[in-house]
This record gives sequence, C-alpha cells and structure tokens, in this order.
Amino acid sequence: MTPVPALDSIDGVIQALAGAGYQAHRRLATAVFLSLRLQRPLLLEGEPGVGKTELAKALSQVLQRPLLRLQCYDGMEQREALYEWNHAAQLLHMRAAQDHAHVDEVERELYQPKYLIRRPLLQALQTPAPGAVLLIDEIDRADEPFEAFLLEYLGEYQVTIPELGTITADSTPVTILTSNRTRDLHDAVKRRCLYHWMDYPERDQELAILRAKVPQASQTLAEQVALFVSRLRSQAFSNAFQRGPGIAESVEWAKALVALDTLQLDPEVVHDTAGILFKQREDIAALQPMITDLLAPEAAS
Amino acid sequence: MQLGDARTGKLADNIAAFGRALRRAGVPMDSSRIALAQTAAMLIAIDRKDDLAAALECVMIGQEQDRTVFAQMFEAFFRNPELAHKLLAQMLPQAQESAKAAVPRRARVQEALRAVATAKNRPPAKEDEVELDAAMSASQAIRLHHADFQSLNASEYHLVEQLARTIPLALPQIKGRRTQAGSMGHRLDWTRAMRDAARHGGELIRLPHLQRRQQPLPLLILIDVSGSMERYARLMMAFLHQSTRQVPRSVFAFGTELTDLTGPFRMADTDDMLLAVSEKIADFAGGTRLGLSLGQIRTKHQRQLVGRRTVVLLITDGLDTGSTNDLSQELSWLKRHCRKLLWLNPLLRFDGYAPIASGAQVLHRHVDGSVAIHNMARLQDLAQAIKRLLKT
Repeated sequence: MTPVPALDSIDGVIQALAGAGYQAHRRLATAVFLSLRLQRPLLLEGEPGVGKTELAKALSQVLQRPLLRLQCYDGMEQREALYEWNHAAQLLHMRAAQDHAHVDEVERELYQPKYLIRRPLLQALQTPAPGAVLLIDEIDRADEPFEAFLLEYLGEYQVTIPELGTITADSTPVTILTSNRTRDLHDAVKRRCLYHWMDYPERDQELAILRAKVPQASQTLAEQVALFVSRLRSQAFSNAFQRGPGIAESVEWAKALVALDTLQLDPEVVHDTAGILFKQREDIAALQPMITDLLAPEAAS
Repeated sequence: MQLGDARTGKLADNIAAFGRALRRAGVPMDSSRIALAQTAAMLIAIDRKDDLAAALECVMIGQEQDRTVFAQMFEAFFRNPELAHKLLAQMLPQAQESAKAAVPRRARVQEALRAVATAKNRPPAKEDEVELDAAMSASQAIRLHHADFQSLNASEYHLVEQLARTIPLALPQIKGRRTQAGSMGHRLDWTRAMRDAARHGGELIRLPHLQRRQQPLPLLILIDVSGSMERYARLMMAFLHQSTRQVPRSVFAFGTELTDLTGPFRMADTDDMLLAVSEKIADFAGGTRLGLSLGQIRTKHQRQLVGRRTVVLLITDGLDTGSTNDLSQELSWLKRHCRKLLWLNPLLRFDGYAPIASGAQVLHRHVDGSVAIHNMARLQDLAQAIKRLLKT
C-alpha cells in the first residue's frame, strides 16, 4: 500500500489529486484543503460535466478511503438514504420467539443492529478509521424535506434513529455534495458547507486532462480539441448553444477521434462526430456554420 | 499593504472587517462564517493572495451570484482599504435611498390612517363591494391607469388579498414519490406493521399501508410588462404572489428583455415584492419581444423546466413586435419541455376576438389553452378554467 500523500498544503492537494488523474485548479484545491482541515462538507456547484463527481472519486483514491455514493432523486426518503429495518428477518424472529419469549423481550430484540440495513449515510458514519468519502450527488434533485433531513448529518456528523438513539461518526467522513442548480438549495444547508463554484477549466488545464485521460491521442490532436472546445465555450460562440460541452464530452470526443484514427481535426470529421459534443439537434445544427471559424488556426484569431 | 501576523490578530480583524463589508454589500454573512474564515486563513500560507482569496471565498460565499461582488470587494479591500471604503460609500447611498423609500408609509398604511381621520364625517359605505367592481373592471378604472409598480393602495390590497384567499387556484397536484401513512396505497407500511406486531406478541393484527403523497406541480410564470399590458401586470403579479404561495415557482417578467423575478416573489409581503419588482424591471411599459425572451429562458434557465412537469402560465396580450418565426420555434421548444402551456390573455374579453395579430396567431397555435383575464373580479372563472384545462 502506498503511503497517503501529504495533504498538508494546497500544493500537496494539487499534486495528490494529479496523481489520481485529476487536474485541480488551485482555487478548487484550496477549497478541498480547507474542507479536509476544517472537517466541513464541501458543496460543489457548476455546469454538468465539469468534474464534480470525479473529484469525489479522485479524493477517495488519494485518501485511500472507500467511496460511498448517495445519488439523490425526487422523492428520496430516509429509508433509501439512511437505514431501513430488515422486515423479513424481523418477522422470522418474531415467529420464532412468539411462543417462549415475553412480549417486552420480543420488542427489544426486534430492534437490534443485526436487523438494520445500512444505507450510504449510516455506512459513512460507521466506516472504521480512516473513514469514508461520502458523495451526495445532485442534491438539487432531492426535495426540500430531504435537505432538512440532511442538516443533522452535515452539521454534527451524526444521525438519530428512533429505535437505536443517536449515532455519531467513528471518524469524520469526507463529505462532498454536488448540485447542478436546478433549484436553489436552502441557506441552512449552505451554512454548514464550504462552497465552491466549478468553472470550465482553462485551456492548458483541459489539455492536461485530455493528455491524462486519453493518452493515445497525439499532442497535436489534444491541443486542437482543447482549443476547439474552449472556443465553443467562449462568449462569442456559447450563446448559440443551449448547453456547451463539458469536460466529460471533450474527453469522450477525443476518445472517439482516436478511435476514428484522426490525426488532425477537419470540418468533415467535426461534422461527423458533433453528436458527441452536443446532445440537442438544434445545437448540432447551430454548430455547422461555425465549424470553419472554430477550426481557424490560433494566429488568425 | 501589510497583512500582518494572524496571531497578533491583525489579519483576524481585517477578515472581520471584510466580512462586515461583504454583509453591507448584500452578501449573507453571519459571525460563524467570519470566525470560520479566520480559522481558514490561519490554515493556509497567506503569502499568496490568490490562495487567501480562494480560501475566503469558499468559506464566505454560498451562491454563484455573489462571486463577482466577492472578487471586487476582495481586490479592493486587500489591496487598498481606502478604495474599499469608497466603494462601499458608493453602494451605501443606494442602500440608504431604498431604506428611505421604504420608510415613508406605504400607500395602504397612509390610506388606512386617512380613513380613520375622515371616518367621522362619512357614513360607513359598502366600499368593498363597490371598489371591487370599479377596481377590477379594467375598462374604466382610472385608478389602474397609472399602473406602474408602486405599492398597492388599501382597496386593491384588500381585494387582492381577499381574492387570493377565497379563490382556490386549483393548481394541479400529482402523486409524488414520497409516501405517507394512508389507506389509499398498495404498499405495506412494514415499519409500522412490525412495531404493532411487536406490541401484540408477534401477531400481525392489521396491515397498515403507505400511500403516495400529493405534491404540487412547479409553476413557471411569464408576465408581459410591455406598454399594452401595464394595467394588468401589476395586479396579476400581486394576485399570483399570494395565491401560489405554496407552489414551487419561477417568475419572469418580459418586455424587450427578460427579468428574473423569482427573488422578489420569495418575499413574504406583496408590497415589498412589488417594490423590489419595480426596481428590477428596466423595461417596464416598453415593447414586447416574446420570442427573444423565451430564447433567454431556453438558454439560461432551462434547468427550471426539469422533468417536463412544469406548468407554464404565459400572461400576455400577444401583441409581439419580434419575429414570428423565432416565436414559433421558441414556443414549440417550450411546449416540448413543459407539462401544460396556458395563455392568460386580457384581450380575450371582446366578443369575436380572433387572434389576428401575428404574434397572437402563433401563440394561439401552440398553447394548450387560453383563459381571459381582463376582469379580475371574476378570477373565479380563471381558477375554474385553469382547472378544466389542466385536467384535459
């Protein structure tokens, strides 16, 4: 087992994350560093595909802690997020104990930890040292009552189960929340978290990501892809599209280009693979007339 | 500027002052955040200014909109505190102004006071009923002629409040995915069954059920504030502000451009809301470019139409000055992304109204239904019509 890299400085965080294949901006690294040191949850907001979820994965790798993921969705309830009793086992227990045990005893025995089904939040609290990385993904998809339910966890790293009492974290889990801003989160959640807005990466950084994720792509191709995508996101072009391509898309695109044995971008290949960058018919149509401008060599721009 | 040593407290003081400055600039800030920011600053090596900025930002800011204010304030504060004071001084008169504007009594308070003063001379009139018709029939109402976004006067206020309270705007509900105890569902409530059974020596005497909880569909309200709509827009906003309180809603005003009113609509008081709205809308009583405004919804606020569940209320007379082709495209996009698209049209009151204006024709083609809103005293009809249209 390799030793945990030094995370005692911002540079240390950047290097460690880079070691896990995640190119972090210095701002982001500062937020991560503080979140680790202050033991506060980190709320990441940003456009889809800027690497919010990836950060949690990379962190779990760097810290060598298991990653627990809670994917939020509309109508999520306590039993999917925190715990549920194993009712079938409880029923069997009751049947077995029915004849010889006293009623009070049956009731007490029914709520033992062995009949508890642990869901991600509880798992995160009970993971033995060094603890877990808990990713609460797309929290904006869950509804507001669920946010309120999370407050106890986010503030104190503990949860309360009526039958068992309060469960406190054995070792503080590193908690990452992500949101795509389909709605505003409540202030109470934000107050308990550090906040970081993730932008699309700079071109050099994107190039580094492409080189790391798609090593088969030639330097020229990776540079061209980074330039093309960064131009797409620039003010001049981005207004034409409903949704600009994220990093995930540019990585996918680079992979596709490699698969097609492309050595250099040309209008035709861009035209043929536009479906990887954009997922809307209107956006693909809007891209067509711009391809030549977007592919213009840098000196001309 | 020398930042000083954190341990001597100079940096800590600076951060506290910085936090207060941010608060004055309108960023939500409490002392626990300031304390956390001080701790954070101690943890990082503060020889790099950008690190300090990043550290303070992730502790002190909670939403993307505040980032620009933060960046400017940080730049000013930690480079040149004098400049920061000037910056604040620039901001302050505005804040004081708006504070002053709020201090003079609201129209309804003043009216109420006046009413007390003259009550002796006047017999108690059946003012409410009379006012109701006069205020709401849009044709002759002089009081509504100056319908800029000032606060409501007393009679209007009562009327709106009364309407909002008495008329159940039957906004649709759907069965959500959350459950609650109830007899209408098919799923067994095992947790409760076990608890009961344990109490009865392991005997399952009755099987409690879970049913799906009803939840309201989110609303997207688009209000035309162009010249031709000005007399309706304000009262409609006041009415919707009160009657759709329980519903998750996004509100936008459009004229020549789009203004996000969701923030003002979160205010509790309708007068506060109208004040904030009038401050926000730059193009009140101008022209209408519906296509362009819808385009802005599509590009910037698309996420609010998540899951095709949103009910869109489009309040306009359809006298659009933009291109009909654009409008048609935007409307068909909007229709694909919402559950129902309803057009509330004040011109529908005229007998034999036909959508002749080109914009109105396009609207007529795309919407799921249109409702007349010219006479708000009969909002009852509106509520009924909405209910009927949403059922189909």
